[in-house]
Amino acid sequence: MATIRTNAQSPTRLRNRWLNLRGLSNWVFLLPMMFFFIGYLAYPIIRVLWISFTDYRYLRNEPANWVGLENYRNAIVDPLLHSGLLRALEFTLMFLPGTILLPLLLAVLIDRVTHPRLASIYRVILLVPAVIPGAMIFVLWKWLYNFQIGPINVILVQLGLFTEQTAPQWLGGTSLTLPAVAAFEVWWGLGYHTMFFLAGLAAIPKDLNEAARIDGANEWQLFWHVTIPRLLPILSILVVLRFGSAMALIEEFLIFGGFNRASPTYTWTMYMYEMAFKTGDWLQGYAAAIGWIGTMAMMIVVAGLLYLFRSRD
Amino acid sequence: MTTTSLSQPRRKRVSKGTIMRHVVINFFMLIIILPLAWVLLLSVKSIPDAYSGALWPENFDFTHYSYVLSKIQTLPQNLWNSIYVTISTVIITTFCAILAGYALVHVRLPGRAAVILLLTASLFFPTRIVSLIAVFEIQSQLNLINKTYGLILPYVTINLAISVLIMRGIFEQIPHELVEASLIDGSGPWRTLFQVLLPLVSNGIVVVAIVNFVSAWGEYLLAATLTNDQSVRTMPVVLASAAGGMGQWAWPRIAAVYVIVVAPGIAIFALLQRLYLKGLTEGAVKM
Repeated sequence: MATIRTNAQSPTRLRNRWLNLRGLSNWVFLLPMMFFFIGYLAYPIIRVLWISFTDYRYLRNEPANWVGLENYRNAIVDPLLHSGLLRALEFTLMFLPGTILLPLLLAVLIDRVTHPRLASIYRVILLVPAVIPGAMIFVLWKWLYNFQIGPINVILVQLGLFTEQTAPQWLGGTSLTLPAVAAFEVWWGLGYHTMFFLAGLAAIPKDLNEAARIDGANEWQLFWHVTIPRLLPILSILVVLRFGSAMALIEEFLIFGGFNRASPTYTWTMYMYEMAFKTGDWLQGYAAAIGWIGTMAMMIVVAGLLYLFRSRD
Repeated sequence: MTTTSLSQPRRKRVSKGTIMRHVVINFFMLIIILPLAWVLLLSVKSIPDAYSGALWPENFDFTHYSYVLSKIQTLPQNLWNSIYVTISTVIITTFCAILAGYALVHVRLPGRAAVILLLTASLFFPTRIVSLIAVFEIQSQLNLINKTYGLILPYVTINLAISVLIMRGIFEQIPHELVEASLIDGSGPWRTLFQVLLPLVSNGIVVVAIVNFVSAWGEYLLAATLTNDQSVRTMPVVLASAAGGMGQWAWPRIAAVYVIVVAPGIAIFALLQRLYLKGLTEGAVKM
């Protein structure tokens, strides 16, 4: 393992080496963390990589055979993997702009609230959805989108936009399901992302805004030339993290779409899950290859985004 | 406080822009609150009203709560499963994160940069998806499939990296001199951590605990994959599969279950929100 020394430590080389050796015992502090990190994160990832080169199956007793790139060769030409990746990308493109821009707008507005009590009430409300766990959010929106009792359709019918028979069928893998999932995902992240931006806005010195105003900048110019550049680090990290989570979404699709392969919610993660856990003839080796291909495709984009957003200081 | 009273006379005139701003903000606030208000209302609707489609009920029925706890047989068990898995996960992760966060900032540690790089990289990697197949294999080799307590091990890992990085951010706020002074006083690194530093990082502990509480309390993918029997399952899996039919699983009754499940998180947050907000702005967001 490469030891990268920080600037703080380097009086003499000899001393350094001795200190480093002594520091080794401090790894005791990291042991509990490393136990879980290696056991349930690093090892499984590498293990899945190995499985993807074999014909491994859970239920078979004999050892798995090494099949080389066969799983990958099959997966690359598999139309279900192609459509799965495209569907995930489609979802990500629906979800990403809303989950970045709406919180940004809201944060700029709330940042200017000077009334201390109102400001803190807003912040508390913003964080309420963030303390509701994912699965609870999905269940809630499964009800809100419900065809009969869901209040969304009830309101649409009462507004006269639809009748009870023609009300939109949001869930169950219709063409509305992906936008519906994207909409509530934006709802879920709205408060939390706003808090991120608020923290970023709080770090902008107020006299910077004042100075720009005195120089004759209007609010729009202020936003574009002072606020946005200062928020860029937070903005870019959010884009990258949310791109990653959106591309790898699975629970929502399990709950809302099911294993209908024609459904727009049947993404590459669903395909991998079905291959690994749901079909009668389990194909873990193939599922592992699908998982790795999807991941690599994602990571290429993530790396590209990180390069694009790299700090240029 | 003093500044507000000083500028009071000037703020009497509320400009059009300010009003517009508050209208827009409150519109978003409503959008955040309304879905939650709806489910709360549903849980006290009488059963006919729940199916009639009217948003505001004619008759209220507050008995759904006692009904679900006494009449749905596996529900207390599911609730207990969720409680002990979540509490164990929060305690173990927080403990790991405190130790690691401290070591990554205030203790000489060969390979520190590599550890931080690994933790950060794992945030960008879809670990949950990629590791799932092997996590299933590990659990079945350890004979932990369909065991509720078996979930604790993978649960600890879900937010481990972010928890460690949050604690690291919090420990960075503590001046190095304080740690050194304590070490010179003769306290070892362990006593320094637990007696001197721990009270100073309580914000971070609250954030880490809440983050882990939320994810463990609502975890679905692993729970649905690694358990089969209704009685060993946790609340999220039970709720997600509840279709909302009649009888035990009539809509208002599931809504009551829902409120029971969601309320603890919101209550804990309400109690700790000041510390949470502070910790969030100090550590998490900086990440």
